[in-house]
Amino acid sequence: MPGTQRLNSEKQIENEAFYSVYPVEKAEGYPVVFSYGFRPFFLLAPAYLVLSIVLWSLFWTGMLPISFFSNPLQWHLYEMLFGVTSAMMIGFILTAVPELYEGEEPIVGRTLVGLVALWLIGRISFWTMDWLGVWLVALTNIPLLLWVVVLVAKPILADPLRRQMSLAALFLVINAIQTWFFAAKLNLVTTDPMAVLKVSVGAFMVLVLLSVRRVNTEAVNRWLDQQKIDAVYLARAPRYNLAVFSVTVFTVVEFFYPQNTTLGWLALAAMAAILNTLNDFFIDEDPIFIRPFIWPLFMLLVLMATGYGLIGWDYLQTEVYQLNNFRHILTMGALGMAYYMVLIIVAHLHTGRSFTRNRWIGIGALLLLAGTLIRALGSMFVPELSMTVIGLSTLLWTLPYIGFLVIFGKWLTQPREDGLPG
Amino acid sequence: MNAITNILKEFPRYLWSGWGAIASLFLFLAVWDLGNQINGSLTLPSPKETFIALWQLMQTAQLWQDVQITVERALWGFLISLVLGTFLGMLAGNFVTASMMSRPIITLIMGVPPIAWIVLALIWFGMSDESVIFTVVIAAFPIVFVGALQGARTLEGDLNDMANSFQTPLWMKLTDVYFPHMFSYVFPAWISALGMSWKVVVMAELLSTPDGIGASLAVARSHFDSAAAMALVVIMVIILLLIEYLLLEPIKREVEQWRS
Repeated sequence: MPGTQRLNSEKQIENEAFYSVYPVEKAEGYPVVFSYGFRPFFLLAPAYLVLSIVLWSLFWTGMLPISFFSNPLQWHLYEMLFGVTSAMMIGFILTAVPELYEGEEPIVGRTLVGLVALWLIGRISFWTMDWLGVWLVALTNIPLLLWVVVLVAKPILADPLRRQMSLAALFLVINAIQTWFFAAKLNLVTTDPMAVLKVSVGAFMVLVLLSVRRVNTEAVNRWLDQQKIDAVYLARAPRYNLAVFSVTVFTVVEFFYPQNTTLGWLALAAMAAILNTLNDFFIDEDPIFIRPFIWPLFMLLVLMATGYGLIGWDYLQTEVYQLNNFRHILTMGALGMAYYMVLIIVAHLHTGRSFTRNRWIGIGALLLLAGTLIRALGSMFVPELSMTVIGLSTLLWTLPYIGFLVIFGKWLTQPREDGLPG
Repeated sequence: MNAITNILKEFPRYLWSGWGAIASLFLFLAVWDLGNQINGSLTLPSPKETFIALWQLMQTAQLWQDVQITVERALWGFLISLVLGTFLGMLAGNFVTASMMSRPIITLIMGVPPIAWIVLALIWFGMSDESVIFTVVIAAFPIVFVGALQGARTLEGDLNDMANSFQTPLWMKLTDVYFPHMFSYVFPAWISALGMSWKVVVMAELLSTPDGIGASLAVARSHFDSAAAMALVVIMVIILLLIEYLLLEPIKREVEQWRS
């Protein structure tokens, strides 16, 4: 193919580039940041995440009045869930597909600029929804994920084993939930938009489970190789499937029968099923789950299990009502840790680097963990300090992403270290 | 000794692998809760009501006495069947004539429903421990017997010949040739027999004794106390699961490692 660079077989065997062909011509004339899907999105996502959550905390604690938005809570939930996660999802899938399917060109240059522009327009439009009207915001937000699915659909559908079908289908489900949210806002359906956002948390947890299964397989084995530990890490599909099933059942039942006691048991089932996935980490050769780089991946699943466990407990007893706070363990904890680790891993491997022994990676994960626990449990133990709790947890929770941008952000704007394109 | 240290070393990881099973059990509790919402607490108390009733029962000395009595009866019955069944089954398995003769008798014993054995035991032994233990033995013995018989019948002559040609000492032959093979047949039979003992002991107690969990179940039924009845059922299931998964399964895994 003219304008593409096919890698020599040695590089392919070592799988260092994570793609087999690269469209050099399409990337020409564009800044390095547009030379691979993850680069612009993995810069924008953490930056936008920090900006949104800081603004929200200032508003929530009364330090900054947000007058331009009539429903700030919906703005907070939608932008943290769909705004940030859509950027992470796009960066992730555009990087994964050329790696998983031989002969698949990475999306670069003009198309990538277009995707970034549409994402930015989506953000600006949501911020100004009160002026633009819901219809216009919906029209700028909904097509983004659809466009991405269309871009990556061909190899996924052509794969006789349909290996990545579940991930692609989930993208469409999340897109459908997004559409449903706007339909609810426009009163086209009778659902409460807040209930739709709650459903989306379940969908994002399934997304985390499906993504970490793939990320862990690659990252943990590469780490084992690098440490010269002769062992194989297997993320066993049936374990993840049971977790996905339990989370899905909980989410669906919670939507149709909110406050039903069955939800307590279903959430506990989700907790147990997620704890079951941790068995993959217990290998004979080494306690890898306490090692740097690996423990945050382990902790991510522990956090998700803890979140569902506490939600289950909340539904089963009548004295404590902290569902909203416990749900933050899922979003800030599991989803937040997934963002953070995907950012770190992809920034290393896909810029032609080995895992570094940077202390910040572990410190960042600890700060994220501390921020999550303070946010989720703080107001239960010290209700009188709820403003301090929010402020402190925001500070701790945003530091890892700021650290990522400061330390690793430049890798995303520089050419690959090994001199390969992309 | 080595096997025991291995079992202990693997134990935490083995315990953690139970989360998958626990997830399924929680899903089952959710369905149970749904059943309660449809049928009402009188017919089917909710899992929460049951666990509260269980907690209250656990505060009483009566429950622990009943549990002890029932466990003792079940274990006596199980142990007698285990020793008799394993010994006689292996013996019969060594002789074609004996296995041919024993099969119809075993089929006959297994064909009689345990409830009928309870009635006969009541006539023979009256309302006593013996009635219960007899019923347990008669229900569990055939299972162990058949397992041991099958194991003995299928011992491979070739392996034995090979061991002989290498002049393997008898002890090594026992531990490395006969035992692993026999174990793979006898052990699952023991587990089934244990399950059977546990079910039958409660049934026998319900009909033939004034004490034990079975008798408490009869009292709960007469008081129409469905929460207490469910709590007792839960206790029985928990004890069986504890014995099977904390004691027997780790042993089985260690001993059957050669298979994988």
